[in-house]
Parts: sequence; C-alpha cells; structure tokens
Amino acid sequence: MAIHKIILASFQICLLIQFSHGATKERLFSDLEKGALDVTAKPSRQGVLDAGIDKLSITWKLSSTAKTQASFKTIKVKLCYAPVSQVDRPWRKTENELFKDKTCPHKIITKAYNKSSQSFKYTLERDIPTGTYFVRAYAVDAKDHEVAYGQSTKEAKTTNLFSVQAISGRHKSLDIASICFSVFAVLALLVFFVNEKRKAKIEQSK
Amino acid sequence: MASNEDGSIGSSLHGVTGREQVFSFSVEDGPSSQPIRTNDPTAKFALPVDSEHRAKVFKPLSFAKPHMRAFHLGWISFFTCFISTFAAAPLVPVIRDNLDLTKTDIGNAGVASVSGAIFSRLAMGAVCDLLGARYGTAFSLLLSAPAVFSMSFVADAGSYLAVRFMIGFCLATFVSCQYWTSVMFTGKIIGLVNGCAGGWGDMGGGVTQLLMPMVFHVIKLAGATPFTAWRFAFFIPGILQIIMGILVLTLGQDLPDGNLSTLQKSGQVSKDKFSKVFWFAVKNYRTWIMFVLYGFSMGVELTINNVISGYFYDRFNLTLHTAGIVAASFGMANFFARPFGGYASDVAARLFGMRGRLWTLWILQTVGALFCVWLGRASTLPIAILAMMLFSIGTQAACGALFGVAPFVSRRSLGLISGLTGAGGNFGSGVTQLLFFSSSRFSTAEGLSLMGVMAVVCTIPVAFIHFPQWGSMFLRPSQHEERSKEEHYYGGEWTEEEKSLGLHEGSIKFAENSRSERGRKAVLADIPTPEMGTPAHV
Repeated sequence: MAIHKIILASFQICLLIQFSHGATKERLFSDLEKGALDVTAKPSRQGVLDAGIDKLSITWKLSSTAKTQASFKTIKVKLCYAPVSQVDRPWRKTENELFKDKTCPHKIITKAYNKSSQSFKYTLERDIPTGTYFVRAYAVDAKDHEVAYGQSTKEAKTTNLFSVQAISGRHKSLDIASICFSVFAVLALLVFFVNEKRKAKIEQSK
Repeated sequence: MASNEDGSIGSSLHGVTGREQVFSFSVEDGPSSQPIRTNDPTAKFALPVDSEHRAKVFKPLSFAKPHMRAFHLGWISFFTCFISTFAAAPLVPVIRDNLDLTKTDIGNAGVASVSGAIFSRLAMGAVCDLLGARYGTAFSLLLSAPAVFSMSFVADAGSYLAVRFMIGFCLATFVSCQYWTSVMFTGKIIGLVNGCAGGWGDMGGGVTQLLMPMVFHVIKLAGATPFTAWRFAFFIPGILQIIMGILVLTLGQDLPDGNLSTLQKSGQVSKDKFSKVFWFAVKNYRTWIMFVLYGFSMGVELTINNVISGYFYDRFNLTLHTAGIVAASFGMANFFARPFGGYASDVAARLFGMRGRLWTLWILQTVGALFCVWLGRASTLPIAILAMMLFSIGTQAACGALFGVAPFVSRRSLGLISGLTGAGGNFGSGVTQLLFFSSSRFSTAEGLSLMGVMAVVCTIPVAFIHFPQWGSMFLRPSQHEERSKEEHYYGGEWTEEEKSLGLHEGSIKFAENSRSERGRKAVLADIPTPEMGTPAHV
C-alpha cells in the first residue's frame, strides 16, 4: 500500500539523519586536555550560599602546562555538580561521551579566549537547585568542539566545593490564592448539598 | 428488553454498585412527586429510550438532557481528574530541582499518585448509590481541588508525596462516570458508550503532558522564576476541577427521570445486601484475574503517564515542551484506541462468542506489552516514538477489550467488580512503579522493558477464565445439561430462598440476553428458558 511505503521511507530517512550525527557522538571527555586552564571560584561569603543572592568570583587563565592552546577560540564556564549531588539522580550523571554528559548543565558565561587572566563575578541564578558544586571552564575550538578544560577542584572532585541553597519558589500571594480557591471549592459543594437536601425535605413535607 | 409488567425489576441500577434499587420507577406506588403519565412517559426525552428511560442510541455530538448531557459531564469530569493526577509528571524536571528530589523520591511519589484511587474507587460505588452519580462526581472533583492547589505549599519530598497521594483520590471519577453512563444508556450500547467515556477520559493523561509545560512556559514569560511558575501552573487543573464540579451539580441529573433525592421518596423497597454482593464478587476467581489483567493494561498506562515525559527529556535530550508533545501522543491515542478495543471485542463475540472476546483481550494486551519491551530497548528517537505509539494502541485497546468481558463475569455484583477491576489498574501501576522506576537499580529504559516482560507474563491468566456456558481460550463450553446454560451461571449467585422470592429475576433476564456470547451458535441455538419463576416471555 502507498501508506506503507511512505511510512517505511520516512522511517529510513529518520534513521539516516540519526546516523549522520554519528561523528559528533564519538567525542569523549577523556580525550580532552586536563588542567589546560587554571580555574578558581571564590564564594562571596562562608557557609551555604543562597541562590539568587550570593555571588561567585570566578577567574581563569591559561595553565603553564597547557599544550593545545593554539586551537582555543572561546571559553565556556559552567557550574557543575559534585559527586555527592549526583547520588540517586541519574539525570545528573557523569558520562564519558560528551553529548551524554550531564555533569555541568548550568551555563555561567561564555567569553572569547584570551591568554591573560580573565575573571567574572557570577550571581547564582534563581533556578540553581540545592546542591554541592564546583566550576569548570571548557576551551572550545572554532568548530564548537571542546578541546580542553580546567576546573576549580581536583580530579576526584572532592576538594574546594561550595554548597548552594535553592530558593523555595513559594510566595505569600500564591499561598493566599491557593487557600481562597480551596475554601471556595469546599463551600460550593456544601452549599449545593445542603440546599438540595432542604429542597427535598420541603418536597416531601408537601 | 425489560418488560413493563408488574413485579418486573427495573434493572437500570441492578448490581452496578451492588446495592440495587428495586421498584424505584414504579409509578403506581404511593404519593409520587413525579407527574409522569404512564401512557407516554418517553415523549419528553430527546433520544429514544427503553422502558427504564435509558437511551437506546448514542449521539456523541448532542448535549440533550439528560442522557447525552450526563455522558459529557461524566467523561469530561474524569478527563479533568486525569489532568490533575498526572499534572506533575511533565514538570518533574523542574520540580526535582526545586525540591531536591532523588529518583527514589520521584518514584515513590508516582506510586502514591495512583495508590489513593485504589480505595477511593472501591468507596465510590457506595457513594454513587447513596447520593447519586452527580454527588459522587462532584465530591471527587471539589474535595480533591484543595489538594491540587496545595502544591503551592510543597517544600520537600515528603510533602510532595503527600499532595500527589491526595490528588490521586480523584481518579474515583472513573467509577462514578461509568455508573452514570450505565444508568443512562441501555445494555446493548453500553459497551461502546463506556469505551468512549473511559477512553476519552483517559486522554487527560496525554493532554496534561502538553498542557502543563505550556502553562508553565506562559507563566515564566509573564516573569516568574521556574520554581514559582510550576506551582502556579497547578492552579489551572485546580480551577478546571472547580468549574466541572459546579457544572455537574447544576446541569447534571442523576437518573433519566430526575435527581436521586427527589426520586427516592417514591417507594424504595429492599436494596440488595452489600455483604452478599461483596461475597459473590470476591468468591468469583475471575474477578481476581480481571484485577491482575487490568493492572497490566491500565496499570501500565498509568505508569507510563508518570514516567514517559521524563524519560524522553532525559534520554533523548528533548526540551520540556517537546518531551511533553511526545508523551502526550501516548495518552491521546486513547481517543480511538480504547473504543476500538471494545469494538473489536464486540465483533469477536459476534463471530466466536466469549472465546473470541478472551482471545482478543489476550492478543491486544500481549502485543502491547511486547512493544513496551521494544520501547525500552530503542536507542534512537524515531524508533522509540514508533514503539511507543504501537505500544499505546495495543495496551489501550486491551483496556477497552477487558471491559467487553467484565460485564459478563457477574450480574449481581457488576458494579463492585467494575470498582475492583478499576482498583486493580491502580494497584498494578503502583506495583510497576515501585519495582522498576523508584530506585537506581534499573535505568528507566531497563525498567520499561522489564515492565513489558512482566505484563506479558501477567496476561497469561486470561487463559484461565472459563465460563461453563461459553468455554475459555482453550476449552470448549461444558457439555453438561445444566452447567451449559447461562441461567445456571447467573442464577448461581442467588440462594434458594432469594430465588423463591423472585429476587434473581433480573439476572435471569440478563442470562437470556447474554446468549449472544455463544457467537454464531447463538443464532442456531433454540434453548427454552427454564420454568424457574421467570416472568412471561418478552
């Protein structure tokens, strides 16, 4: 049938499109040059930071041991989850394939590559979840492929971490509106119920 | 159909909830407030009706009072409750960040969201019988609305779980909706009507996957941060519930002739004993097989409503919006898939009788489950979507086909069995979510495949459903003189004293009508009804 053929054809086209992306899928984190950038992230105060309020002072510069700096075009700085915040949360899992890796979902800043030391004062966004974090800077080439990185913690990701407390997302106005609607719902039901019972009693007594 | 003679039992409410209202329509009794003249009581209805004023035709595009209006109010209420119960699912990627949830927390909340209805579905039968279908529906909608609004207050995993549990109670509208259509529509078309009401209501699980991300997006555009926007988004299902609750109470009518409270005054005699009805439902082993079967058709569907959006978001890196669209297609297939299942069951029955119905059920449910296994194993988006669509059609059609068999399991306890089967669906969903989606033991993909395998295995019990008068998947009907008659099977639910009082006559009438389940042989068979106190032949 014609429909059969169309479905089969579109299906094959979809498959082809998927396979053509194959080249980019193979890029691995372990292939990137480690420690090409020296990154520091200093919280604005001690203790647990508040999202939306507290700041991080982030600096990055080319490390003396770097080798691949010729291809660096841009630096992408990201906020990353420490291992303790990844436990029982597969949507934050660290994977070797770069396209699958979910360690660093929060973008901080993207700047053009410069040999000298760069810095940025980052205010923690209000959609940052509660957790423990570090900062990583990826060096990206002209094809938008990562070639190297540096991070504010050691390889084991256990030192130099900072904690963030998310906003609650609750609002007094929301709470009040919620209570009003709820009361209205229950009252409406009671009013109808009592009214009908009364009408039925009147009917019966007639 | 039912005759108008003296002593004939109006069967519109028979066994639907297990507490039958006998003689509720006898106009000759006492000072009735009904001004209906017996010579032409059907004149005031927009649709042709039978002797109990139940509609004989189904006109989905009409809103005529009271039948079609009840149908639309019923299925839309059920639809709204599905939206509320699964409203959290497409927003989980935002909620899990706001409340710092782990996979275990999310899985447990998913289990909680379907567990509440296990109890509320069982209780709804009694509520409908005592207060009428309108109040049953309105109670569900208006009393669970506060739970929906209280998402504003949720601050951690515990409160999130508690709120989802409480919202889940409203899924009892399944029972009140089916009850309402059962009293409004005649037995011959009730399969199609219930299939449509059930299927279109279930669509809510799909629509919510589109609606909630969209509402969330709009609220964010209006300036709210994500962690506030999702809370506000819950106001939409909450307000929908309030609107539907009020519409049901103002526009709806419990029974074709009026509301329950006004009708109850016109002479109500003995209701069937709940304990008896309960016992016959529980004693019948087929009830429990249906419980398990529905647990792995509807149960799987409910589980998918909770996990599929997050699955596509995480595994294929789609946006919240796109994942919602894909997930919605699963639920939307209900629009035609469930009625199709009911229809396929009816066609199979015409050709092969009850055996055809059982085979149809087994085939649809097993094929659906196999596609679920494929879905878990698909590693590219197009194949995953294809597998998901085929899976949805198979499983949802199986739900429709199951309710093609359910009305024949018992006549006396029909309502309670519907409630128990419905509860089984939720139970199955709780079990599968607990086993496969609540811990980090399996990835979601593995969980999907394992759930499919479990569903295939748990569909095998269909082979054990045997009706002596009609046979089963592998066995022919009994050749025994007595046991091969439908009257024996349905009469067996009444004791001798009850039979001597004539209480079983509705069941006998049903038994006669159910001869159609013999398939083509029904046309050839010429079995006279036994002289056991049945009223005069129609």
